Amino acid sequence: MDELVIAGRSFGSRLMLGTGKHPSMESMAASIAASETEIVTVAVRRINLDDKDEGIVAFLPEHVLLLANTAGSATADEAVRTARLARAGGLPAWVKLEVIPDARNLLPDPVGTLRAAETLVADGFTVMPYMFPDPVLARQLEEVGCATLMPLASPIGSGRGLKLVEAIRIIIEEASVPVVVDAGLGAPSEAAAALELGADAVLVNTAIAAADDPPAMAHAFRLAVEAGRRARLAGLMPEREVAQASSPPGNLSSVP
Amino acid sequence: MSTCRVNGRRYVLDPNETIAALLVRLEIAARYTLVERNGEPVERERYEEVRLEDGDKLVVARPVAGG
Repeated sequence: MDELVIAGRSFGSRLMLGTGKHPSMESMAASIAASETEIVTVAVRRINLDDKDEGIVAFLPEHVLLLANTAGSATADEAVRTARLARAGGLPAWVKLEVIPDARNLLPDPVGTLRAAETLVADGFTVMPYMFPDPVLARQLEEVGCATLMPLASPIGSGRGLKLVEAIRIIIEEASVPVVVDAGLGAPSEAAAALELGADAVLVNTAIAAADDPPAMAHAFRLAVEAGRRARLAGLMPEREVAQASSPPGNLSSVP
Repeated sequence: MSTCRVNGRRYVLDPNETIAALLVRLEIAARYTLVERNGEPVERERYEEVRLEDGDKLVVARPVAGG
């Protein structure tokens, strides 16, 4: 498959994985392997001084990019704080920017996201903002220097698929940075549809982590993303209003 | 006696204790143990040299599973 390039770095996979909600660290690690992903997201939280388990990092392969997300940040300031702490502590200077003040619908704050993006880009981060698929906001995020756009397909963890497809289509048409459809994808077919539409990549978490067999579902998503990308490059046939026979006209009674 | 707070909990500091030494003492030294000192992130490369002072407030964090 052709490579995905973000901020000058090339990736062989167009499937990014969230690491949350897996039944076990072993299941998560097996899913990462089966997905062949090269970018995984991690959250940042205070260490529990009474329960010092070994954490997630030991289960993540060396070659994948650890993309710190700012999940849990309700404000731009908190997101900037989280990103800076992660980078200072040795994580890559890449951030999946989430500013989410709304705990019920988990929809991102567009103004706070734009403000935090501007600050973090100026501070040298490669910024990948999670966003409602608003094409005007997409343009603004691109203008302040974001490396990707990450519009949501439907609410986080809902598995409802490409509900906001028409807005995402406009963002894809207009963007000059990679578009990563993030959040809401529930099935591999939806990931394939996103890639067919022209999305450059997808980020999947719950659809894999909450499957009966997460590593097998990760494999299915890998195949779907590859199929979607190949279909996009192959060029989909134009849609038609009416039927058009695939076979020559006539039958065994007709005279040639 | 000098003390600091780590994630809100009070600890008595050893003389000239560095961030690196404190993380080892608390058994939380790891590749990606993140440290904020008095509201400012501390560069990992400086954990060995930064000596903690009386009244310091630290937040220690790390990557966890998340989307």
